[in-house]
Amino acid sequence: MNEMFLKLVSIVCIFCICVGGGSAGNGDTSILPEGYVDATQRSTHTNNWAVLVDASRFWFNYRHVANVLSIYRSVKRLGIPDSQIILMIADDMACNARNPRPGQVYNNANQHINVYGDDVEVDYRGYEVTVENFVRLLTGRTQNGTARSKKLLSDAGSNVLIYLTGHGGDGFLKFQDSEEITSQELADGIQQMWEKKRYNELFFMVDTCQAASLYEKFSSPNVLAVASSLVGQDSLSHHVDPSIGVYMIDRYTYYALEFLEKVQPFSTRTIGEFLQVCPKRVCISTVGVRKDLYRRDPHKVPITDFFGAIRPTRVSTDRINVTLANESDFIADLEDIAVAKRKFTVIMEPQFPSEFFK
Amino acid sequence: MFAFYEECSNKHLIRALPPPPPPSIYAAYKHFAYNSLRFSVFIEIQMSCTHLWCVGALLLATAVAQTTPKDEHFHEELVVRPLSGDHVNTYFQFTTRWHYGQKENLYHTQLTPRVIAELLQQFDVKELHIGLTQGLWRYETWGYPIVEATSGAEMWAWFKATNLTDQQVDKQWAQLANVFSGVLCASLNFVDNTNSIAPKHLLRPQFMPANRESFMRYASLPREIVCTENLTPWKKLLPCGSASGFASLLNSGYVHNTKYHSLGLKVRTLCQDHDEDNCILEMTQTANLVYDLRLLEQSGNDFSLRRLFGMGLNGYCELASTSKIYVQRNELGARYQLVPPPPAEETTTRGGYTVVYGVYDMQEQFQDQGERLFNIAWLAPKGELRRQRQKPAPPPIYAHRYLLGQGQEHGRIVTEVTNSHYAPLPILVQELIPWYVHAYLHTLNIRRRPLGRNEYGSERLPFKLLHYAPGKQRELPTHLEIGFLLPGQSSALITIDVDYLVLKWLEYPPDANHGHYINAALVASALPMGTNYSALPLEGHLFAHSFNATRPSYVLGLHTEALIVSLPTPDFSMPYNVICLACTVVALAFGPIHSVATKLIVVVRQTSAPRNFLKKLKEKLFSRGSPLLPTAGEADVPEGAGCLPPEEQDENENDNDEEEEKEREKEDKEDKEYAH
Repeated sequence: MNEMFLKLVSIVCIFCICVGGGSAGNGDTSILPEGYVDATQRSTHTNNWAVLVDASRFWFNYRHVANVLSIYRSVKRLGIPDSQIILMIADDMACNARNPRPGQVYNNANQHINVYGDDVEVDYRGYEVTVENFVRLLTGRTQNGTARSKKLLSDAGSNVLIYLTGHGGDGFLKFQDSEEITSQELADGIQQMWEKKRYNELFFMVDTCQAASLYEKFSSPNVLAVASSLVGQDSLSHHVDPSIGVYMIDRYTYYALEFLEKVQPFSTRTIGEFLQVCPKRVCISTVGVRKDLYRRDPHKVPITDFFGAIRPTRVSTDRINVTLANESDFIADLEDIAVAKRKFTVIMEPQFPSEFFK
Repeated sequence: MFAFYEECSNKHLIRALPPPPPPSIYAAYKHFAYNSLRFSVFIEIQMSCTHLWCVGALLLATAVAQTTPKDEHFHEELVVRPLSGDHVNTYFQFTTRWHYGQKENLYHTQLTPRVIAELLQQFDVKELHIGLTQGLWRYETWGYPIVEATSGAEMWAWFKATNLTDQQVDKQWAQLANVFSGVLCASLNFVDNTNSIAPKHLLRPQFMPANRESFMRYASLPREIVCTENLTPWKKLLPCGSASGFASLLNSGYVHNTKYHSLGLKVRTLCQDHDEDNCILEMTQTANLVYDLRLLEQSGNDFSLRRLFGMGLNGYCELASTSKIYVQRNELGARYQLVPPPPAEETTTRGGYTVVYGVYDMQEQFQDQGERLFNIAWLAPKGELRRQRQKPAPPPIYAHRYLLGQGQEHGRIVTEVTNSHYAPLPILVQELIPWYVHAYLHTLNIRRRPLGRNEYGSERLPFKLLHYAPGKQRELPTHLEIGFLLPGQSSALITIDVDYLVLKWLEYPPDANHGHYINAALVASALPMGTNYSALPLEGHLFAHSFNATRPSYVLGLHTEALIVSLPTPDFSMPYNVICLACTVVALAFGPIHSVATKLIVVVRQTSAPRNFLKKLKEKLFSRGSPLLPTAGEADVPEGAGCLPPEEQDENENDNDEEEEKEREKEDKEDKEYAH
C-alpha cells in the first residue's frame, strides 16, 4: 500500500513539473525581446524561384494550362526572370490545332489577358512532365546532362513558390492521366529540399479537387500552403468560352490572378491578403490554408516575397579606373592573333555520292 | 568594367563587352567563361526582362560600334516570294560569321552567342543543324524552300577531334541534345541512341576540313510541337534580340497563324586545311514562314509587311553589316505593284533559271526616315479573281509517303518519289525506322510507273546503293539508305514491310491512343538545272550568295511526310476493371463458401419427436443449455457436434421444429436430413 502511495505521489509530482514547465515556457514567449520577434518576421531571402506545374494533358484541360500560365505571367511581371522560373506544361494549348487563336491562351472569354504572352519559355513540356521529373527537379537530383534551365538551382536563401494544378483527389494529384504524385511523396520531396538547404521559405499553392489533402503530410519548416479546396470538396472551373468549347480557367486561380494583376513590384500587399482570395461565395469551394509550419505572420509578409524577385542593384556614379598594366604585352598578343587570321578559300566535300550512279 | 549578362535557358549572352582588357582581367574573364556552364554570375538589374534587353542592345550598340573588329559580321536578310494558291513565303535569315582564328578566342564572344561558342569547345562539334517546324511544305505547289525541314524537331551534327571514339560521340550527342533542349525550350532531350542514326551517304559534311575521322549523328522527333516557347529563345540568340531589326517582325501571334513555320539553326566551322588556328564560325538562323492570304482576313489579294507581321519594320539591327529585303518580282511576283517601289533590282540566273528580286536596303531606308515604321505593300491588279490562276508546273522531284496495310500487326511503308524531269535522275532515300517498328529488308523493293499511268507494274528498279543497319528492340532504330536511278517522267514506289511491336505497359506515352510516329524519309537528288532551286550554295553564307551561283549540279534535299501508326494499344483501364470484377466475384463467392466451409453438416433422425405442441414447448424449455438434443436419442450424432456454439444448436432445434411441423402436415415419417 505504501509503495502504491509513493508511486502515485511521484506521478503527480512529474505531472506538476510538466505542466509547470509548460506554462513557464508559454510565459517566456510573451516576454521575448521585441527585436527578436521583429527579426523573425523580417524577410530573409536572397533570391526567388518558382516551380509552376500543369499536370494535365488534352484539350479539355485547357483551363489547367490557363491556370499555370496565369501564375507564370504574374511572377514574371513581378520580376522573377525566366531563368528562375521552371514552367512545366503537359500539353500544348497555344499552338493546338483546336485553338482558334494560335499562339495565345486567355484567362477570360473576353480575351483581356493573353496569359501565354509573347515571350514564354516552357522548360518541361509534353511527355517531360512526369512525377519523376518533378521530384527530381525539387530535390535537385536531375539526371546527368540536364540543361541548366531545367534545374531548380535554389539555395538556403531562396524563397520558392510551388504551384500545382491538375486533376486530383484525396491525397494525390494526377500527372497526364497516367500516373500520380501522392501527398506523402510531395511532403518527402519538400523535406528533402529542406534538408539539402534548397529553400529558405516555401509557398505551396495548389489548385485541384481536394487540394488541401496535398499539404496535409507536410512537416518541413517554413512552409506556407494554400489550397483551392478542402478535403472532400471539388475545385470548380470559372466559365466556358464558346469559341474554344471548353472551360477557360479554374475559379481559384482566376481570382488569384485578378488579385495579382493589381500588385505592382513595390506593392505593400501581403501574403495574408492573398490567402483570403476567393471566398466561398465566389469560389464555391473553401480555400484551405496551412500556416502552422510558417513562423511569420502572413499579414506582415509582402506578397513580393514569393511572387516577385529580389534584385538589389547598387548604382555607382563614380568613375571606375581600370589600370591598363602591361598593355603592350596584350597588344602584342592581339597582333599574333591577327596574323593567324589569314583568308582562305572554302572548298567543300561533294554533297552527293555521284560515284554510285555512274 | 561592366558586362551585362542575361542568363536564359542555359545561355550566357554578353550584352556589352569592353575593349580588350589587360591580361589580369583577361585571365579572370577566361576563368569565368570556363565555369559558366555550371555557375553563373548575375549582375541583377531591378528592371523587367524586356527593359534589360533594350538597355543591353543599346549598350551593345555603342560598345560594339567602337570595337567590332572587322572579322565578325552579322547580316539580316528577308526574302518575300509569292507562292501559288494565294500563299506568301517569307524567309528570314540571320547570319553571324566570325573569323575567330584560334580556339582560345572562342572565350570572347561578341555577336555570336556564348552558348554556340561553348559548344565548339565542349563537344567537338564542327557542324550542327536544328530545325523546329510545324506544318508541311507542299513541294508540288510551292516549289522548293530555301531551307529544308521536316515537321517536328530535327537535329544532326558532325563531330570531329583527334582520338574521338564512337562511344564518346554517342555521349556527346546526347549531351548536345540536352543543351539545346534547354536553349530552345524543345524536348530535344528525348534524342538519344535509341532514336539516332549515323547517316552514311545522304548527309555530307558542310564544314572544313572534313575527312574520314569525323562522326555524324542524326535524329528527328516528329511529334514535337513548335510554339512561342521555341521562338522566344531562338530570337534571344540574335545579337539584337527581338528589339530591333527584322526579328522584331517575328511576333508569336503572327508567326503561329501561318500554314507552315520553320525555325532553323545551323552552325558550322570552316578551318584552313588542318590548321586549327585559322577558323571561321558561321551561325545561320532561319525562319521560314508560309502565309495563306485567305486566312489574313482581307478582301483582295493585296498584302503588306504590316498585314503579315502585325507591324511595320522599326529599322535595322544596329549591329548588322547588311540588312536587306529581297522581293521576288518575276513569275508570281510580277503581277504585284510594290509600294514603295524597290530602289534596286537584281536579276539572277542560276542553272538556266532566272529570278528578279527587288532589293530594299534598310540601312539606306532608315538613313533619314526618323522614327517612322517601314512598310512594303504588294498591290494586286484590280478586279483579279482568286481562283483564275492555274496550278504551276510541278518541280522536277517530289516525294510522298503512305502507310499501307490494316490492323495493328503488320503494315507496309511506302515512299513514292516522282521525277517530272525528262532525263533520269539519281535518287537517294534515307529511312529512319524507330525500334518499335520492325522492318524486313528482304521485302524492300522499288517499282516504277511512267507518269500518266495509274498502276504500278511489275517493273523493278535496280539498287545502285544500299546501306542497311538493322534495328534492335529498345536500343537502335533501323537505318536504311537506298540509291537508285529514276528514269525521266516516272514515279518510283519504294515499299518495305513492317511489323508493329507490342510495347511494355510503361513504354506507352500518356496519350497512347494518339498513335506512334514513323519519321519522315529524306530524299536527295542532284539536279542538272536550277529550276525552282533557291538553296544557298555550299560555300556561301548569305541568301545573296545564291545569286548567279551556277554549278554543274544542284544537290536537292526533300522530306516526306511523317507517318503515324497505331500500335496495338491495350485498354489501360483493363487492370482496374479486372480488379473490380475479380473482387466482386470473390466477394459473392466468399459468403456462401465460407458459410458452407465453417458450418457442420449434422444428420439428425427425427423419429421420436413429440407431436403435441405443449409437450414440444415444454421439451424445448427444459432442453435449453443441453449440448445434445434429448429427443434425438437414437440419432447418429457425429463427433465434434458439441463444438457447435449453443446458439447454433438452438437454431438447429428451431429448424427441427419447423421441419417437424411440415412433416406433420404431410404425415411423412421418413428420415430427414438437414444441414446448414
